[in-house]
Amino acid sequence: MNRSKNQSKRIPKRKKTGLWARITENKLAYYLIAPAIVAMILIHFIPIVSGIMMSFLKLNQFTLKKFLKAPFIGLDNYRTILFDQNSTMRSGFFDALRNTAIFGLICSILVLSIALLLAVLLNREFKFRGLARTLLMTPWVVPSFVVGMLWGFMWQNDGIINRILVDVLHLFPSKPYWLTGPAVMVAIIIPTIWRQVPFVMLMLLAGLQQIPDEFYEAAKIDGAGAWRCFRHITLPLLKSVLSIQILNGIISYVYSFNIVAMMFGHGAGFPGKYGDLMMTNINRNSFQIWQFGTGAAATVIVMLCVMGLVAIWYRVFQNDLVVKE
Amino acid sequence: MKTHGLNKYNRRKKRINLLANAVVGIFVVFAVAPIIWMIVTSLMTQGEIATGKLGVPRHFENYVMMWKNVNFFQYFRNSVIVCSLTTIVALSIATLAGYAVSRYNFPGSGIFGATVLATQMVPGIMFLLPLYLLFIRVQETLGIRLINTYPGIVIVYSAFFIPFSIWILRGFFASIPIELEEAAIIDGCSKFGAFVRVILPVSKVGLIATGIYIFLMAWDELLFAWVLTTSADVATIPVGIRLYVGNYQNRYDLLMAAGCVTTLPVLIIFFSLQKQFITGMTAGAVKG
Repeated sequence: MNRSKNQSKRIPKRKKTGLWARITENKLAYYLIAPAIVAMILIHFIPIVSGIMMSFLKLNQFTLKKFLKAPFIGLDNYRTILFDQNSTMRSGFFDALRNTAIFGLICSILVLSIALLLAVLLNREFKFRGLARTLLMTPWVVPSFVVGMLWGFMWQNDGIINRILVDVLHLFPSKPYWLTGPAVMVAIIIPTIWRQVPFVMLMLLAGLQQIPDEFYEAAKIDGAGAWRCFRHITLPLLKSVLSIQILNGIISYVYSFNIVAMMFGHGAGFPGKYGDLMMTNINRNSFQIWQFGTGAAATVIVMLCVMGLVAIWYRVFQNDLVVKE
Repeated sequence: MKTHGLNKYNRRKKRINLLANAVVGIFVVFAVAPIIWMIVTSLMTQGEIATGKLGVPRHFENYVMMWKNVNFFQYFRNSVIVCSLTTIVALSIATLAGYAVSRYNFPGSGIFGATVLATQMVPGIMFLLPLYLLFIRVQETLGIRLINTYPGIVIVYSAFFIPFSIWILRGFFASIPIELEEAAIIDGCSKFGAFVRVILPVSKVGLIATGIYIFLMAWDELLFAWVLTTSADVATIPVGIRLYVGNYQNRYDLLMAAGCVTTLPVLIIFFSLQKQFITGMTAGAVKG
């Protein structure tokens, strides 16, 4: 980050201080970003603004045709979701919020630790290293909707997982139901981790390979063991890569949809009280019971939560984001 | 005495390495087993799947039946067209913008960079309904059809993947020494000419990596596909693959075969270009 800025300052050769002079001097840059700006205005900003406006409207199947001219009801949608004790919408929202928090936390921790473990283990010389890395990467390449339907099939009561756990390993007295009740959380977390670990592992491995060997050699001469090397060399030098992956994780787990949706009725089903996530909840409210106004309000609330988390993330990792040279 | 201690050290090191290899092995099994199970079930008959009797998986007829039972070829073709077009459009736009932010310190570059990142914080569902209603509005007022057309879904996908692609490419361009352009400009190239003739050729790896990333993401997308492409002429695989299991039939054998067929193209693309992908992605993404 640092370096790119220093470099970019070198292209304009004459030093001009006026704003207009700087704008005309960088004319080419504006031409280059113009297509991206047009695309982002059309497909990002206009829809986001209208989406936020929708959260203040009574928008359901009767008023859908009117779109933004639907009756304005102020904060009523937010009140229904957050405070209306009689509304099933409210209990569904809070279930989904709780599930998403648990899901996101467990996925973040497990994905990061497994990926870090594998990255460290792959960062050694051993036979079949290339093959192991390739095989470990494959889950990430399987499309997420295929992942969802494949695991949904495997978790079935007479599916392969129960056959291994009960018929072969005898871990349970009878075949547990993974796709109903509290066990759903396990059934949605494992496929998510399965698909996400490879990519994070790859990024961490690339980060590890940038750490010079001399650091470890010097530490070994000073008598440091493997754990101390990891704790005092690997972790601090990997912090900038780790922080980016943490941010990535926060966003992708809170907005997780494909795998869970596909596991339950291939998008048409309900993951239940213990497995419903924010995105499946909002999607169902919007496209199955046609409550677009409350759906938009719920989306805005989740988005604010993510922004809060990102702000906290920024405060924590602020100093690690710039690569020191 | 001395050699004895060294032997002990070596033996211990060997044992640790063996343990590490075993751990890697266990994770490899976990990573690959579900995929193998998908391939195995795709070669079983419906009866074998229902009774759980494991015979030799050799029911290759599934791979013939799956194209007939559901008109899967049409969905497959649509996915290929939509994802290829998306990759071309998004990659071109993101390359221009990524180059601009990596090389020019223009007024507004900070805001632009921040906005690009901020778009990543907005969930897809936030855009979905407004876009759908906007597309209907455009059709009613301007007469341009966007729902259930290739241009409609390609525009949406491209715009969707542009911000993150800008971010990867920005990092990649920043890793290329600026002296290359300076030399080209001294030799009489214009600034844009230097970008096209000097920088683009040496950025092949970064462009390939970003292109693969966009293609994989587009191949993977289902929420917008479910809403914006409902007619079979333009609907992509995530729409079509749901027809094997559900209201009318329960053909898990064919579903798994279709899953394998869906995974194969991206698997081939990824593994044939794996090296470029890793170098290109990490040059940009690791730096952050």
